[in-house]
Amino acid sequence: MATVLKDLDTVISNLESIAGKENVLKEAHHRALRAASCSPFPLHTWSNHIPDVVVLPGSRDEIIEIMKLANKYHIPVVPRAAASGLADGAVPERGGIVLDIKRMSDILEIDEENMCVTVQPGINMLELNRVLEKLGWFYPDDPAAYINAVVGGRIGTGGFSLLGAGFGHVPNLVISMEVVLPTGEVIRVGEGGGKKIRKSSVGYRMKDLFIGHQGTLGICTEGTLEMFPKPEAEFPAFFAYDSFSEAYKNAYELGKSGLKTLSGVVIFDEWKIDYLRRDDEAYIPLPEDVKSVIATICYGTVEEVSVARDKIFKIAKEGGGRYLGREMSEGDWASRHDRYHIPFHGRRSDGQVILLSWHCEDAAVNYSGLPHVQEKWHKILTKYREKYDGIFDDWGMFMYTNNPYKPWGDYLTEIDIGVNELKLTDETWKAWLELKKEIAETVLEVGGSISACHGGTRAGDVEVACYQELADGQFELMKKIKKMLDPNNIMNPGKYLLDEAYREG
Amino acid sequence: MAELLSKKSFYKDPLKEGQPVSDELTKDCYAVFSCRHKFCREVCPVYREERNESFGSYGLHTTLLSVSKGIEELANIKDTFSHCLECGACELRCPTTIFAGDFYKYTTTTVDLVRKIRRDLVAQGIHYEGWNEVKKYIDEHQDYYDGPETELTKWATDLELPKAGQQVMFVDYYNAFQGTEVPRLAAKILQKAGVPVAILEKPSVTTGELLESDIDLWLKHAKQNLEALEKAGAKTVILLNPHEYSYFVKEYPKHFGSLPFEAVFITDYLWQLVKEGKIQLEKDLDIKVSYHDPCALNKLCGLYESPRKLINSLPGVKYTDEDPVTQWNYCCGNGTASFKKVHPDIAYKIGQRRLRGVADLDAQVLVLACPHCKDQFTEVQTKSGINVEPKHILELIADAMGIN
Repeated sequence: MATVLKDLDTVISNLESIAGKENVLKEAHHRALRAASCSPFPLHTWSNHIPDVVVLPGSRDEIIEIMKLANKYHIPVVPRAAASGLADGAVPERGGIVLDIKRMSDILEIDEENMCVTVQPGINMLELNRVLEKLGWFYPDDPAAYINAVVGGRIGTGGFSLLGAGFGHVPNLVISMEVVLPTGEVIRVGEGGGKKIRKSSVGYRMKDLFIGHQGTLGICTEGTLEMFPKPEAEFPAFFAYDSFSEAYKNAYELGKSGLKTLSGVVIFDEWKIDYLRRDDEAYIPLPEDVKSVIATICYGTVEEVSVARDKIFKIAKEGGGRYLGREMSEGDWASRHDRYHIPFHGRRSDGQVILLSWHCEDAAVNYSGLPHVQEKWHKILTKYREKYDGIFDDWGMFMYTNNPYKPWGDYLTEIDIGVNELKLTDETWKAWLELKKEIAETVLEVGGSISACHGGTRAGDVEVACYQELADGQFELMKKIKKMLDPNNIMNPGKYLLDEAYREG
Repeated sequence: MAELLSKKSFYKDPLKEGQPVSDELTKDCYAVFSCRHKFCREVCPVYREERNESFGSYGLHTTLLSVSKGIEELANIKDTFSHCLECGACELRCPTTIFAGDFYKYTTTTVDLVRKIRRDLVAQGIHYEGWNEVKKYIDEHQDYYDGPETELTKWATDLELPKAGQQVMFVDYYNAFQGTEVPRLAAKILQKAGVPVAILEKPSVTTGELLESDIDLWLKHAKQNLEALEKAGAKTVILLNPHEYSYFVKEYPKHFGSLPFEAVFITDYLWQLVKEGKIQLEKDLDIKVSYHDPCALNKLCGLYESPRKLINSLPGVKYTDEDPVTQWNYCCGNGTASFKKVHPDIAYKIGQRRLRGVADLDAQVLVLACPHCKDQFTEVQTKSGINVEPKHILELIADAMGIN
């Protein structure tokens, strides 16, 4: 619940002195807009999440001053990047200041000699790549929200990249970064002390602490990132299978192929294919005999990719895969960010079109655990869909290779869920939280992690994350670290159950 | 290309302070809020400068949703809704428009929504900051209409253009008073190509600022335009201003049904004449150019081919193209209605970014097809000193034809 701040007027006038009057937003709609991140957002209790004020700082020094101010008045600070994360990291739980970093979006240095780029946190990846591509480089972080997401938010949430099995994920792509701590001190974390060093054995691995903390430990104000030579060739190939189990087995063989250029293997299950049949422009073909699909993607030199192509085709064919053709493969891969979250694809069980918001529950699951999770997640969703028809809808599952630099081992598996936010009530919201809990607990049954990319801060599964998944002492250590770095609990309070650290004395 | 005409008839129901937002309009806003991938954001030229997420399609629809949910009052959103160029980039970039628009017959229509909200606010006497400048411009055009008829065609005094004929060039008030080089060059080019072309004795107001503040009056003028064109015997109406082209092909049919003539933009018309050999482009121009897609052509109407074909036919021109999809991100900064009058500083930043991009392409000249772009880039060029000369495409065609 948002708190009423007695010192709000003083805080606002201080914020205006720090960041400029035009960069402090007070009107209700500006604040309401910055209450929500991705779906489902409890629209029926929107007011509970509205911050007291929004500030759009333009520099690290302004952020330092804002943190000092917040400490002085014990006011929550919720960092906000593009807010397309799915774990509610950017959703204010107790009002306070939303600190929106998107104005800080400059490229500070492109170091071609050492193959890295230093940026401010508010820059969008597509925009960064527009600049880098002209010089023959690229930054390979490729989330579903690639077109909107910004570097700082990716760092704060520890995101997953669709190209991660080829180029690594966010933790692998950040070489070092500057962080403003909750108390206003500035540190640089990386490998040892070198700003551009990728491997050092000096000191603790501090960098990882500031990736995926969901805004609870500080604010990244500058990042030095890996920069890759732009690959000569991109080769997507999609294959159809008669069953999910056939595709599942074949994904293993593809991972085992030893192909260095193979930068991702994605399995679409039967429910996902059914969902795609709702889209008349879907590249995935509609024949009923297509029950599952595997997408493979290769990046590399022309020579590497053309050899890999032959081997992939051979493995797929031996495993029952039917190549879906160049047009479909290239078309679907090119539109990978766009086509899976169309609100109009929502359906009631009688087929009626309803406007639903896309939500995705994800987990990191070892290869061996995928069939169990796939079966049980659909059962859970079917149960809730039957009870709340028109509120929840099953949009099928994807499974992406999750291991950085290697297309094998564990998979990011996701179930996409349509949610009717406009019709949420206390009852359906409660049902949603129960659904989430069941989804999360299923993952722990097979030794997985409840999220590969979104984080575990969301109501419904945060207890599963803290009390079950991180039960072996990790959550206890998290609380100690939180209290040490943020003595007044001002950074994004209410997330990851970290309030406990302050109650324990 | 998605449907050009918005069929959202509920946009016609005025939204009033203190009254609930209709379910249909709420759902329309929710259709954008529900996406949350927000691909509309980084494509918005205003957002790219300000980086304030209240602007752009997601910001505006969510703002209105907050009014619908009783969190905000209608009057308080006026200045947020003035931060839209009405360029249409967000509508095109919306996955709903791209991937589901045809199937569900429902697309995102931010431009129509912005016009509607501005109109509804003005009707209640709720004026955004900068409204006085907009009102002054509307009044100026109304004064032209109320003033002596001869003033409206004064730009053509020496050109001997008939006032009736099968091909009628529609010259809006901006071109008739501020951007006279465009209609003058168009007339000379068509005359040299041997195409008989007429103009209206008295064209009525088409001003976009009026469309988004008093639609009834705007439609009254529109009706008069249609009647005058019919009376003049027009079979083909040639439009010289992309803003007016969008009104003729998108707005007029929405309210009056199919037009009794064909509405053609000047570059389409001239390209046809080039193909037929009626226009000879002979003089070597010896320049390096790039082309700027006017928002009203490229984004609002999907017209981008003929200007490129014409440029490629100009002798001695070295052309560096930026494709029309890349240009969804661009705007000269003027916008398609009142934006520059309300936010001149942001307009300048947008224009500067665009012109710097052209300089990076090593182009000497930025070719334009819109008089408002020409005006805006000329101002930006003068203020910033960026070494790129803005030129209207008709200037280059006239040069290559040896006119003047």
